[in-house]
Amino acid sequence: MGDLFSNLGLGFSVALSLQNIVAAFIGCLVGTLIGVLPGVGPIATIAMLLPITFSLDPTGALIMLAGIYYGAQYGGSTTAILVNIPGEATSVVTALDGHQMARQGRAGIALGVAAIGSFFAGTVATIVIAALGKPLTGLALLFGPTEYFSLMVMGLVFAVVLARGSILKAIAMILVGVLLSTVGLDLETGEERMTFGLPFLSDGIDFAVLAMGIFGIAEIMRNLDHTEHRDVVRQSIGRLLPNKEDFKESYMPAIRGTLIGAILGILPGNGAVLGPFASYTLEKKLAKDPRRFGRGAIEGVAGPESANNAGAQTSFIPLLTLGIPPNAVMALMVGAMTIHGIIPGPQVMTRNPDLFWGMIASMWIGNLMLLVINLPLVGVWVRLLKVPYRLLFPAILLFCCIGIYSINSLPTDVVFIALFGFVGYMLIKFGFEPAPMLLGFVLGKLMEENLRRALILSRGSLETFIERPVSAGLLAVAAILLIIALLPSIRKGRDEVFTE
Amino acid sequence: MSTPHESPGAASRRGPVRAPQSLAGGLFLLFLALLALWLTRDLDQGTLGSMGPAMLPRWLAFGVGLSGLALIVLAFVKDGEPLERWTLRGPFFIIWAILAFAFTIRPDTWTIGPVGPISLPGLGLMFAGPLAVIIGGFATPEARFRDLVIVALSLTPFCMVLFGDSALLNLPIPMFPQALAGFFPAGFTQNSVLRTIAVVMAVAALLIFLTTRGRRDAAIDAADHGGRI
Amino acid sequence: MKKIALALAAVAGLAVTGAQAQDYPTRPITMIVPFAAGGPTDVVARIVTDHMSRTLGQQIVIENVAGAGGTTGITRGAQAQPDGYTIMMGHMGTHGAAPALYPNLKYDPTKDFAAIGMAAGTPILIVARKDFPANDLKGFLEHLKANGTKVNMAHAGVGSVSHSTGILFNSIVGAKPTMVTYRGTGPALNDLMANTVDYMTDQIVNVAPQIQAGTIKAFAIATPERSPVLPDVPTTKEAGLGDYQVSAWNAVFAPKGTPPEIVKKLNDALVKSLEDENTKKRLLELGGVLPSAEEQTPEGLQKLVNSEVARWTPVLQAAGAKAE
Repeated sequence: MGDLFSNLGLGFSVALSLQNIVAAFIGCLVGTLIGVLPGVGPIATIAMLLPITFSLDPTGALIMLAGIYYGAQYGGSTTAILVNIPGEATSVVTALDGHQMARQGRAGIALGVAAIGSFFAGTVATIVIAALGKPLTGLALLFGPTEYFSLMVMGLVFAVVLARGSILKAIAMILVGVLLSTVGLDLETGEERMTFGLPFLSDGIDFAVLAMGIFGIAEIMRNLDHTEHRDVVRQSIGRLLPNKEDFKESYMPAIRGTLIGAILGILPGNGAVLGPFASYTLEKKLAKDPRRFGRGAIEGVAGPESANNAGAQTSFIPLLTLGIPPNAVMALMVGAMTIHGIIPGPQVMTRNPDLFWGMIASMWIGNLMLLVINLPLVGVWVRLLKVPYRLLFPAILLFCCIGIYSINSLPTDVVFIALFGFVGYMLIKFGFEPAPMLLGFVLGKLMEENLRRALILSRGSLETFIERPVSAGLLAVAAILLIIALLPSIRKGRDEVFTE
Repeated sequence: MSTPHESPGAASRRGPVRAPQSLAGGLFLLFLALLALWLTRDLDQGTLGSMGPAMLPRWLAFGVGLSGLALIVLAFVKDGEPLERWTLRGPFFIIWAILAFAFTIRPDTWTIGPVGPISLPGLGLMFAGPLAVIIGGFATPEARFRDLVIVALSLTPFCMVLFGDSALLNLPIPMFPQALAGFFPAGFTQNSVLRTIAVVMAVAALLIFLTTRGRRDAAIDAADHGGRI
Repeated sequence: MKKIALALAAVAGLAVTGAQAQDYPTRPITMIVPFAAGGPTDVVARIVTDHMSRTLGQQIVIENVAGAGGTTGITRGAQAQPDGYTIMMGHMGTHGAAPALYPNLKYDPTKDFAAIGMAAGTPILIVARKDFPANDLKGFLEHLKANGTKVNMAHAGVGSVSHSTGILFNSIVGAKPTMVTYRGTGPALNDLMANTVDYMTDQIVNVAPQIQAGTIKAFAIATPERSPVLPDVPTTKEAGLGDYQVSAWNAVFAPKGTPPEIVKKLNDALVKSLEDENTKKRLLELGGVLPSAEEQTPEGLQKLVNSEVARWTPVLQAAGAKAE
């Protein structure tokens, strides 16, 4: 325990140097502003802003990059809440209830709860990393392809529970999402799948493009259908920040979300993406009135946002202790560290304790900065929403185009958001929900990889999923959840048949 | 594609189709499933021991197709929602706005199947931005050209400077056609050209705003300060 | 609107052909890195262009265009205007193995580029999981021969360095392991550390920290000399497999038709950056190998490219490795 305090002490002494505080602040600020750009998630933001960090020393540079990361995450949540455009897989869930809250005039509250929940989660996660970082990496090594596959299956079941309306339509959407994720070059054989021979499809569909089209552009198209509706909602903008009532409703979800996110974030292979979905499912199941979810339930923002942030921070653990990046963002961090002369690996902790503990301490500082930067900004955002929609949406449209273009410099990406926008519009007209599809898409890639890998390693035996204990456990949870989710519909169906 | 159904609320439905929305949705899913099956027809399925590229897509396609069929069946069995009305104006203009942006942002040559090669002019954000804003703005029947021009001419320079200025974010987004730089005197760097263009656009927006303001407000008194468009 | 666009395009064309090479560069240069930011090639590019920018007096902006093993970005670079304002960082995969892997490749490494010079090479190592029942290369090769498909080899997907070099290794030693695909080196290393897969061949940048920490073991390094970063790892020559010499080289290219004066200026800047102490230090810290004097010249680089294409094509085609 004493070790922990002395290490944290070292960390804070490094993180609280003037240069590093400024670096953290600039990182958070810039990250937030770019992250707010629709469609631009943390990965794209960090990649874009990497050159800014070159003039700093390694510790300062990493602190700034981490700040950019959190800032971009929070900026993405902001866009998800305000205009229903998730920039990253983890913001999809926030968009569900967060945006509904915004439409009800409670945008400020949603943003505030998200910020405070994230801060809380960040604090807890920092302590977890500091105290348990090393031992927790052992956990990561327990997960092989079979366990990951079962984890993803469980995730897909979450997606079913997530759905607001008809379960059948939700399942269909999930399947479509997974199907979309298979478009592109097959990882193993290199053959093109469903790409129509188009070269830019050979790497598959970009998540940002899909999300932007299906959520953002389709949303704009749909809003234009109901112009009268929209203005009425605009009038009643209430409190700007959450009050005691809101806190009471959100603190337990935040705590639960933090735990879920923290654990899932440690798993290499992007386990963190499941955090918000798991939290949302849990809250929906625990709530007294689950029908509120999808219509502006504050727990649906508090829980997932905390899970989001906790996962974002604990995903640094595999990077800092093993040198293995668990997801694309951390892979960027690896590059950044390498450019600055620090080769990430298991020995960073002992060879560069300043860097290691300084980064951990600055995680907390970064979270604090985010709160400081964003709470005042809430007022700005809310006021922006008052602009007449006929002028606001072209602006949003422009930012969407710029945002998507800036990720890969590919005009074809921009064309695709138009296509997906129309598809999304069609889906809404048919009564389908886009969120399960996006989740299916995100999990699909991971799922297929791990499925094929697991089967190769087990030489084709399917029993391997049940033989291995962790995997069996996860599949059991998935099965139970699925049954719980389907039960009400089955009962309702039976009742209907009887009344007929 | 659009079949505007003017069905009355949830009242009795004539005809065998009790849930038109489910029917349409189911048909769409079936179409997707068949498309996927057709696209993967040449791919190898492999065995469980070494899964081929087609295995998962095919199973998924079956799953999607089955759900589609289930929905179609349900459409005849259970009551459901009618198809909402489709408006085409909105999606039409938005799609064209996005395409306009994509076609003008950077110079390129495209070959789309048998069509092409088409040579795209690289006009940069300075033209792509206003195009997107103005064309997109017309997606709503409430569009007013003057307002859209002002928004376009003020938002675009803001974006240009924020994203393109080397002192700020300095992203590799094309801002203006390269040839334009040739019109400026030799001493101008890339940055100065950018800032000049931005200032010009912003001033233009301000001018348009000031000089056409009177027209909307004054309903009766038409004699205002001069300079009306 | 269209007429204005056409007029501008025409003027742009005139402006390009009238470019004065003497004044080059008069505006920032874009370097296309055909991989995601943060990867080994991207890191090398950023280190080297950092110094080159100072010599040239203009910023070199890195544009990451990832996809299809790097060929998407290189295709874009090859089709860019040959005015010296778009260059690219190619590597062993994009300019050596690509013709064999991608039948529909839209460029020819031997013809469509003006080679500038090599930046740095990253040596390849043969690594295995910690508990693998062999302790040196000889034991490893015996085990491979005896166990055929029961052994698993990890790689980061068709088109990746670990894939191509792995195939080369297998063909030289006659091994036929079961190939396990991963999306990137990170997950592959993870499974290697968890004892799930058996071995891999990959760049030093990725595997050095793990070797140093003892979480995986290395059998040999495929360069003529030992690396200062890993002094205890024998070279393939010392370990008895001198035929396996491979390094993932990274080099700068410009589109075909770039004026010779501009090529020379770029080459000068590149050579100067490789002479700079700071740049050298950062590259060596990665485990990188600085190119020889000949490889730093445009002619030497083009010769290398041609020989690499000749080397990789038969090996990869024999293994049936292809991305359509």
